[in-house]
Amino acid sequence: MFRKVLIANRGEIALRVISACREMGIRTVAVYSEADRNSLHVKFADEAICIGPPRSAESYLNVPAVISAAELADAEAIHPGYGLLSENANFAEVCRASNIKFIGPPPEVTRLMGEKSTARQTMKKAKVPILPGSDGIIESEAAALDWAKQVGYPVILKAVAGGGGRGMRICRNAEELPGLYQQASSEAAGAFGNGDLYMEKFIERPRHIEFQVLADEHGNVLSLGERECSIQRRHQKLIEEAPSLVVSSKLRAELGATIQKCLKDVGYWNAGTIEFLMDEDGKIYFIEMNTRIQVEHCVTEMVTGIDLVKAQLRIAAGEKLTDIITRPVTISGHAIECRINAEHPEKFTPSAGKITAFNLPGGNGVRVDTAQYAEGVVPPYYDSLIAKLICHGKDREEAMDKTQRALSQFIVQGIHTSIPLHQRIFADEEFRSGKIDTKFMERFAEREAARKAAEAGTLPTLTSPGISS
Amino acid sequence: MADENNLEELRELVDFLKANGIAEFEMDRGKWKVRIKFEGAAAPAAAGGLTPAQLAILMGGGGAAFPSPFAGTTPAATAAPAAASAGAAAPPEEDLHEVKSPIVGTFYESPSPGAPPFVKVGDTVEAGDTLCIVEAMKLMNEIESDVAGEIVKRIASSGQPVEYGQPLFLIRAREERRKSN
Repeated sequence: MFRKVLIANRGEIALRVISACREMGIRTVAVYSEADRNSLHVKFADEAICIGPPRSAESYLNVPAVISAAELADAEAIHPGYGLLSENANFAEVCRASNIKFIGPPPEVTRLMGEKSTARQTMKKAKVPILPGSDGIIESEAAALDWAKQVGYPVILKAVAGGGGRGMRICRNAEELPGLYQQASSEAAGAFGNGDLYMEKFIERPRHIEFQVLADEHGNVLSLGERECSIQRRHQKLIEEAPSLVVSSKLRAELGATIQKCLKDVGYWNAGTIEFLMDEDGKIYFIEMNTRIQVEHCVTEMVTGIDLVKAQLRIAAGEKLTDIITRPVTISGHAIECRINAEHPEKFTPSAGKITAFNLPGGNGVRVDTAQYAEGVVPPYYDSLIAKLICHGKDREEAMDKTQRALSQFIVQGIHTSIPLHQRIFADEEFRSGKIDTKFMERFAEREAARKAAEAGTLPTLTSPGISS
Repeated sequence: MADENNLEELRELVDFLKANGIAEFEMDRGKWKVRIKFEGAAAPAAAGGLTPAQLAILMGGGGAAFPSPFAGTTPAATAAPAAASAGAAAPPEEDLHEVKSPIVGTFYESPSPGAPPFVKVGDTVEAGDTLCIVEAMKLMNEIESDVAGEIVKRIASSGQPVEYGQPLFLIRAREERRKSN
């Protein structure tokens, strides 16, 4: 096992990794920017090195600074956390060249699976269903009609040179396709100087389902079941849960087996997540892979009882999966995670500043992962996640009840947080029914707006007097 | 009689205690044993607890609590915790300018082992003059002075690991216009 590990990250995940190391007797080295001097991950590591000014690009993303710190502290391995340098294949290569173990897949595999088009090809070869897309440009309306007929409506036309929603048209039947094709093409030509279009299957109300995997460095891969992350706002996950109400044990087993084989063939190492969309008919399609530990790894930990971060460390130290996970993986109960962000619960504007009061809920099946504390400062330079509330119950009902109770006792003052937003979501009938999809937040926002209008613009009273809005 | 004397003594004692702001007072007499508590002492914290002010210092400015491989260069310098520089260290007297390391690495005062150092205490330097090397990932980075003036002190020693922002030299800057620390 490693004697000393450097954690190339900050905030709650840095503390998470440092804690796992501490439990395993591994010495920890934290790196920090000047803005994070008083952070918990710095305080609780055995050693800490300042690597730059507040801006991420000059500190946490500064490869020479991180490597230099690892060399100075004589760290044998680097855990990159999530975000930042965790999926940076160049960084993994520099680690390898510097004789420092990067806790994750080999750089070549990160590149292969991190790049959307190569990942799709890899999955396709492995017979993992992928979201149907035209292999190249759709040259004409006739070609578009043909392709759409094969794949099935609805479809979406997208500009080859495009982005930002321009040169895109959703098409739901053959009658409207030619007209929409023309529109998309002219818009693309106008915006990007190139009117070429490609097509993809479009799912109206997709559910975001992702599978957690662990792979050792001896060719063994294990699927740990799925998470559902359909509650998203602008592609940012807000609430995640495990298991998914719409994944049967049959699907879990079959898809798990397919994924295991595919990643074994690819030579995958360490933790990873494969993301899918499920359509209204229950068919699932691969969208992308994340070659790192994820924010929402905690819900999988709660239902499987497996410590994923410790597994990562042990895998990187060369242990076999059969020694790390000694019993068949079983899913027990239901876990839900709420991302508590430092932002206004309605306007979603970021809310940096000093926390003046901080009370964390506890109790049976309630877990909070956070690196914030009373009198702590949320700096404006980084993402707004300040805590994760994870509740585990025997079923989804109990997990939701625990979450509501825990949210009512989760006090953060001095800054705005998404706690009031979560409270409203957990009181929402559609959310509680579990009949959710990635468009949920849009519909929820509409319901909220209508409700407020009906109440003549006054804010509803919150359940706990301690929360400032 | 004795009672009146005792009462008088007691009154004097009470006056004395009030005048000196003493809130609690115990006494044993034989071989003394006194216990005095002044007014305005912080409410007793829970066993082992800290007052808000103490906690703020622990979490906030005071900073010397961080364990770090980059503690002061010489025993005499341990009072200035290098890991918590940038203001937490004793402010340089006479407004001396601190040259801080812009990178993480190992400090060397000379261009190569055995060679004379780039600068010595007492030398005058211009802005842009090389003061030292900080080696990172096998690359020797020359660190240049950001002000003109006289080298007053070399803080880091050769072979010492330094972090971003760690003070390396103290310079008495020449112009009135000083860089703020």
